[in-house]
Amino acid sequence: MRLQLPLCLLAGTTLPALLHAAAPAPLGAFLESHCHECHDADVHKGDLDLTALAMDFNRPETFARWVKVFDRVQSGEMPPAKKARPSLKQMEGAQLWLKEQLLTADRTHLQNLARTGVRRLTRAEYENTVRDLFDMPGIALAGELPADGSAHGFDKNSDALDISHVNLAKYLEAADHTLDLAIATRPEPPTVQKRRISLANRGGFVAHIIMNGDGVLLKDKKPDPDFPPAGEQAHLDQGAHERMGSFTNGSSVGLFRHEDESVSPYFMEHVTIYPGLYRLRTSLWSFQWDKGVVLPAPGTGAARLSVVQLTGDGRGGQHPSYVLGYYDAPSMDSQVHELTTWLNHNEIIGFNPASLAPVAIYSRKGRAMAFTGPGIAVDWLEVEGPIHPQWPPAAHQVLFDNLPLTEWIPAEHEGKRAPVRKKIRQIGAGMNRPDADKGLWTVSSKDPLQDADRLLARFLPKAFRRPVEPEVRQEYLARVEARLKAGDSFESAMRYAYQAALCSPDFVYLLEPPGPLDDFATASRLSYFLWNSQPDDRLRELASKGQLRQPEVLRKEVERLIQSPRFERFIEDFTGQWLKLRSIAANDPDKKLYPEFSPYLQDCMVAETRSYFHELIRSNLDAGHLVKSDFAMLNQKLATHYGIPGVTGTQMRKVALPADSPRGGFLTQAAILKVTANGTTTSPVPRGAFVMARLLGQPPDPPPPNTPAVEPDVRGASTIREQLDKHRHETSCASCHARIDPPGFALEAFDVIGGFRSRYRSIGEGDNAPRGAIDPLIGISFKLGPAVDASGELPDGRKFQDIREFQSLLVTQKDLLLRNLAQQLAIYATGRDLAFSDRPALELIVQRTQAQGGGIRTLLHELVQSPLFQTR
Amino acid sequence: MLSATLMLDGGSLCADEAAPTFKHRVTGLFSPDREQDLRGVLEQLPGITLQSLDYAHAEAVFQYDPAVVFKGTKPEDIAKRFDEKIRAASSNTFGIQPLYLVPHDQLKSVEIAVVGLDCKACSLAAYETVAKIEGVTQATASFREGKVTALIDPARTNQAALEKALKKKQVSIPSTSKP
Repeated sequence: MRLQLPLCLLAGTTLPALLHAAAPAPLGAFLESHCHECHDADVHKGDLDLTALAMDFNRPETFARWVKVFDRVQSGEMPPAKKARPSLKQMEGAQLWLKEQLLTADRTHLQNLARTGVRRLTRAEYENTVRDLFDMPGIALAGELPADGSAHGFDKNSDALDISHVNLAKYLEAADHTLDLAIATRPEPPTVQKRRISLANRGGFVAHIIMNGDGVLLKDKKPDPDFPPAGEQAHLDQGAHERMGSFTNGSSVGLFRHEDESVSPYFMEHVTIYPGLYRLRTSLWSFQWDKGVVLPAPGTGAARLSVVQLTGDGRGGQHPSYVLGYYDAPSMDSQVHELTTWLNHNEIIGFNPASLAPVAIYSRKGRAMAFTGPGIAVDWLEVEGPIHPQWPPAAHQVLFDNLPLTEWIPAEHEGKRAPVRKKIRQIGAGMNRPDADKGLWTVSSKDPLQDADRLLARFLPKAFRRPVEPEVRQEYLARVEARLKAGDSFESAMRYAYQAALCSPDFVYLLEPPGPLDDFATASRLSYFLWNSQPDDRLRELASKGQLRQPEVLRKEVERLIQSPRFERFIEDFTGQWLKLRSIAANDPDKKLYPEFSPYLQDCMVAETRSYFHELIRSNLDAGHLVKSDFAMLNQKLATHYGIPGVTGTQMRKVALPADSPRGGFLTQAAILKVTANGTTTSPVPRGAFVMARLLGQPPDPPPPNTPAVEPDVRGASTIREQLDKHRHETSCASCHARIDPPGFALEAFDVIGGFRSRYRSIGEGDNAPRGAIDPLIGISFKLGPAVDASGELPDGRKFQDIREFQSLLVTQKDLLLRNLAQQLAIYATGRDLAFSDRPALELIVQRTQAQGGGIRTLLHELVQSPLFQTR
Repeated sequence: MLSATLMLDGGSLCADEAAPTFKHRVTGLFSPDREQDLRGVLEQLPGITLQSLDYAHAEAVFQYDPAVVFKGTKPEDIAKRFDEKIRAASSNTFGIQPLYLVPHDQLKSVEIAVVGLDCKACSLAAYETVAKIEGVTQATASFREGKVTALIDPARTNQAALEKALKKKQVSIPSTSKP
């Protein structure tokens, strides 16, 4: 029977009578001795009757149930510890038999299937690909494309990447926009304009709040004598001040209020006309304001520069589109920061004195002259650009190589349609001006069809990420020819073909051959894995030489990709999904319970987790560091939040943790603790489920239908543990919660914003709360309620008293942690879920990694070298 | 040497071998240091020079050649064109107006105490609040000195009207002001 059953399965001739027969030896004996007591028709604990579970591995439902049985037995969870233990021989025999059946069935099922489905690019991949293809590193496309779905934890799976007419319409728009920006339409680059501007220049919103006390004008680190701080009476008439030049006399702007629902400062005198690279320089410092006197600040402040997309008439879209960075503002000492960034049409630079407490002095009695507290000053912002190292720009040369740009004289093109130029409207109050109209310039060709063929032969393989057959190129060339015959200019005809290429499946989809990947598919899989973008010239060159799949070459390339700044895209994309960082802003913490929370803190949280993961890879640290570590990646804001002294400034850096610190590893990072909380209260259940699913690779089953949610009690009358207790002791819930709750109990030591706590905060009953590290300007109204109990017991009986002990227990499961990370990375890299029959390959990756010390960078290498990665 | 004085649009014209001179009322002279500001603004207006200034009555004598500075402008429109030019050059803080027809000795001086900020732009705002009231021929404002003054035509306005306008502008006025 043992030999016959698999043969039957392989032949696909299984009979129902056989399938429902008792399980064959040695599994049958094992089940009967150790499982049927609880999982038979009478008891069917956990809704599982093994006496009735068919040995039908061809049916997905029963196959999945047997996999679950296998996993529970293999993990040691079953049979339960309190029951009689099977002998080792009996256990191994049963497991081996079941494993063989499952592997055989799964391999049979999958043998004729392409494992990774044909999938389109995610919108992040699409944007990155266009950015890299055209060397336009900041063109904004993703926001205009429909949101991607998610399957098996990631958005890179064909199951999640459907396509509709909406996608297609958006691809057309995106391609059109890309070509608008890429094609040079003038004989020389736009004039580089360099302008030093004040945050309050030309009046506007910042001037308005300064006039009402939320800020001051400063000269030589003192109040501007020509513009005294707003006192008992506000300054009269903003227009009069603008006309008298109060805001254009070179004064620095000191703000006491950070960005909030009503305040969003930005530098209004630069509104980008020409997309491109711009050099930004700004001078920042901080101070302590004492009712009209400027004093040294208590520490280094932090200011945020962001990019704001103006919309409508220029008054809309005031809040940041994206953050450029946080910058140090040292006490009484102007520090100049410089960065080069891409700016799009009608984008401006936003400013936020991020490290300040939420203070609003606006129109309060006494205004600035009655206020004592910190301020952040910006002396100026200098904007220089657009910077074009070459002209025509690289993007244009990707499309037209070195064909000359000439002026379009209608008389010379009788019967031809001139290329169309879109009128660019600058909105807002920018002082930068467009260049004078130079006429209509366009790329010209003396032999259009020959040039078109040459340009397409150059462009298509780069865009499609692999060699392009002549007949495919011919199709595009035919489009060019048709457009030329229809009267289009050379540029328009080529543009038509390029737009078609950028919307074609060859560009939008990742196309891989069945079976082992060829060199080009390997290049794409590798670059979309580690750069979230297309292969670069080097990868394409190695692929075209047929060298990329050589193990040593591949190893060097993986190292090169990891060292590249583009690797940050992987860090952001992978952690955003694996650790749910994309959900960091899913809720705003209750302002009464967590008044110290701020967007700056939230951004620091995300930066910490990303930096930490990057550091694990950079230093090739082992998987134990996922849950326990003697260092953290911190800046001043987070260090203060964590109660760790001696960290100054905005930059993330490696900080050794004190011996008694409860921090270290992902579990204790504020970002993880926030994404697993609801903004008001914490619950061990979602946090426990997060740990099991994301770190241990043991996602719990969903709760039974009609299970009521536990209502949070913010009055401080009862703890979540007390509320859960009743629930946990119900027989139907106990087994799952015995696994889910312990990690969550340990994490009860942290509140919804990742602060360490020994007592719960309450907005009802409780004792007055000490201020601790909370800014003196922040009002505290919450109370301290019941004590936190972070103790628990793991399903295997091991107990812990607090988070540190829990971490110590968890870190002993390095294999589990490493295996899960390997699985998460494999799903992300291959764009498909892992099947049961992939387990041996995954296990080999884990073993090879462990044999080399277990480092996470080693894991990346081993994954890329594996058949799992190199096979579709 | 021929010297002549002609009335033009409320101003006066003096002609000699150099450019003729004209008398205009100037708005924006809310404090003595504004004379210096005015001279600075005029530097941006080639062909126009300030000959003399009667700060108390906000009247100034300018020298310019209308045929050059205001080429093609009708004589009756010259003051208006001058006003446009000086406003553009001064961010609308100075202006040119016709001379006030009421004799100086029939005007009444009022002084209103104000408190609050020590800020030149705020003084401009307070000045403009008062100066734009019909019947006010000249005004000054200084938060540093804590007062707003005005020369008014009693037949057309009064101190109460000025105080009301200032209060509406959020200017703090102590309970007692000199009548």
